[in-house]
Amino acid sequence: MTQYIFRRLIHSILIVWGCATLVFFLIRAIPGDPVVQMLGTEYTPEAADALRDRLGLDEPVLVQYVRWMGNMLRGDLGTSITGAESVGDAIVSGLPKTLSIAIVAFIIAIVIAVPAGVLAALRRNSLADFVVSLVAFLGVSMPAFWFGIILIIVFAVNLGWLPSLGYASIGEDGFVEWFRHIILPSIAVGAGSAAILMRFVRAGLLEVLSSDYIRTARSKGLNERRVVVAHGLRNALIPVVTVAGIQVALLLSGTVVIETVFSIRGIGRLLVGAIFDQDYPMVQGTILVVAVIFVLANLIVDILYTLLDPRISYD
Amino acid sequence: MHRRDSIDWSVLSGPRVSRRTLMQLAAASGAIGYASRLAAVGAAPGNRAERRQDVQQGGELRWGYGIGQIPTLDPAQVNLGAVAGELLSNIFSGLVQFDEELGIIADLAETWEVSEDGLEYTFHLREGLSFHNGDSLTASDIIYTYERTTNPDFASPHANKLALITEITAPDDLTVHMVQSAPYAPFLGTACSRGPGRALLPISQRAAEEMGDVAFGQAPIGCGPFMIDPDTVEVGGGFDLLAFEDWYGGRPPLDKVVVQLVAEASTLVSALEAGDVDMVDILPLIGYDQIAAIDDITIVEAAGTNWIGLAMNYARPPWDNPEARMAVAKAIDREELINTAFFGRGTPGIGPIAPAFGWVYQGADEAEDPQAFNLDEARALAESAGLDGVQVNLITDPNTRVEQVIRSQLSEIGLDVQLDQMQQNAYTERRNSGDYDMDILGSVVDVDPDDNIWNFFHSEGPFNTYAYSNPEADELCDGQRLTSDQEERTQILQELRLLLANDAAYAFLYHLPDVTAFYNHVQGYVPIPEQRYLEHLWLDQ
Repeated sequence: MTQYIFRRLIHSILIVWGCATLVFFLIRAIPGDPVVQMLGTEYTPEAADALRDRLGLDEPVLVQYVRWMGNMLRGDLGTSITGAESVGDAIVSGLPKTLSIAIVAFIIAIVIAVPAGVLAALRRNSLADFVVSLVAFLGVSMPAFWFGIILIIVFAVNLGWLPSLGYASIGEDGFVEWFRHIILPSIAVGAGSAAILMRFVRAGLLEVLSSDYIRTARSKGLNERRVVVAHGLRNALIPVVTVAGIQVALLLSGTVVIETVFSIRGIGRLLVGAIFDQDYPMVQGTILVVAVIFVLANLIVDILYTLLDPRISYD
Repeated sequence: MHRRDSIDWSVLSGPRVSRRTLMQLAAASGAIGYASRLAAVGAAPGNRAERRQDVQQGGELRWGYGIGQIPTLDPAQVNLGAVAGELLSNIFSGLVQFDEELGIIADLAETWEVSEDGLEYTFHLREGLSFHNGDSLTASDIIYTYERTTNPDFASPHANKLALITEITAPDDLTVHMVQSAPYAPFLGTACSRGPGRALLPISQRAAEEMGDVAFGQAPIGCGPFMIDPDTVEVGGGFDLLAFEDWYGGRPPLDKVVVQLVAEASTLVSALEAGDVDMVDILPLIGYDQIAAIDDITIVEAAGTNWIGLAMNYARPPWDNPEARMAVAKAIDREELINTAFFGRGTPGIGPIAPAFGWVYQGADEAEDPQAFNLDEARALAESAGLDGVQVNLITDPNTRVEQVIRSQLSEIGLDVQLDQMQQNAYTERRNSGDYDMDILGSVVDVDPDDNIWNFFHSEGPFNTYAYSNPEADELCDGQRLTSDQEERTQILQELRLLLANDAAYAFLYHLPDVTAFYNHVQGYVPIPEQRYLEHLWLDQ
């Protein structure tokens, strides 16, 4: 197992390096000149040349690439092309916000998906199943940004219960304020995931419940609760864990839009702003972080398999 | 006609230069756009001294600011006019500032003199000025700022505004003397004013060097009525502005202004509606009706200083044919465009003169509009020009609200408009290189809006990337710069406007208003066009 994890870590590093390299060259293939963007309409060619020189953008791309890689290995992600902040600082300030939204969204998704999925599976083709499926269908179809705006209108504007924008840190403003700021964006992002996970819980459980060992368990006279929870759910969750791993990643991408709607400057908004500004170091830095999270989430999923299903072994 | 060398520039000296003087001088020297804008700003209701009587001290203003990210607050590097006029103007004082009528009044410089030939400026600073870090502010700081802004390695986009200065000296701690190679009427407004005069907003040498450019850009040490609390700065999130106790004008009534950056227009509107902010910098038009329905909120709306139009590239067929251009101009229903794209908030355009310039502006009901919407005529012209089925591109950035409407309206005359959508940078490059069939562009005015017209319609204008060249238009563009008689100038501009409309140099589209909104407990707002001077504000608690 240790050997497996070690091997996977090596793979992960290669994947992250590949991502970083791809992004480095792709962002430079986008038409447009970041220097022109930065200087505005009143720029002079001399000012543009001076800025290009200062940013090292006048050097061959390969030289820039090697220098960036070298700096990255030393933990230096560079400075935003606008000169306003170091990429590392921006990520350190943005990551807790994005992770807060993603984690709370994930918890919301699980808390909704598992009971709803179990209910739908046990009461198959009943009214309950129909209602749960319909809600799930709506959840999948609803764009997160639209749902976010609806949540703002209902809970911030009309009811006045929750703030319509911004972020509060646990450290400075306390848990309650943090939660009040994070709950609406988390619901907006988590709703879609809840719907998808619910479908998988339902399908997985239906399949498992019709299998031989469940029939055996029932024929032994075990009560239904124990059959479903101990025998059924555990096995039904294996595909769910796979999907959940992907969902964690999707939740991160969901925050890209939601952070803009709620005016929270997490990794997602950093990335969007950086792409618009063609802020090369910032795009490279944020994508790197997202790639690391993706890869780690997948690694954790694979390890969780072995815990859920003893038949799976990586040795 | 007056010649430039007959102008007496010493009228620019002050503690106060009236709007009237600026207008006359601007007209005489060629900065006609500036004069026109000065003329447009009516006297604000009330008067500052009266309002000051019941001012309450203290409190915190939560200010929603409709920009997702401000890359830097280093004045010499700020390229967004809104950031300069609304934020920098509160963190930095200038040598001079604007009054409610856009006249120029004393700020850090208590008085100043301009020589008769317009080449020499002498500023006399107030005594006892200081930066937010407590350092005293003297003439040597202005000279340091000049050197910093014009340092080629620093690559300031505002260095060009100081390009005419051949000599700058500090005869003593309170005097700054500048010599220019040619007279330049808008100098005080564009280079020396609080807010927009970014090239010379005083920088503390010690702070800039100790902090470095990055940190200074995040939380600059200024000399204005409010100072940034460096602990609250969150790039892309916002920051707190604290009252500067030692500001020469006296401590502002507000203790604190919490600046909250909001990228999404609908979020900004919701935040105001929900009471999460007390005021917004500019009210997004998408929320105008919604906010107007709330009794507790005041909306202040001023005529805009902008024009927007549809450029057709003369260098490419079919736009070398005047009938083709006029067919497009007549096929556009401006009312529908404004209703669809701007929720009905806007004024149909008949030329490049904005409504704020009241003395010369003519609305669609006051003047001949050769481009008036008429689909039958447009179809006839289009048929004669063979436009049916012709495919043209319309370049645009990711925001295609207007472009979508234009495309749909032009399909009525058989034109197949392809939206060529790209990132802002790529769009700017395509536009600058003239690589397009059509483009929607216009001018949002800086303090010197002479470029509003000359830059777009003179054959040598820098924004004339669509190859428009008409000797008659060139003559009028030049002529309006040299005429000092206001009536004559008005006539020339209106003649030029009609000529441009007849040529279909652009299909002129619309003008947008300048709108802000705040809760009624926010008092003391002084409307200065495109500026927000927050030291006048106080909260009725």
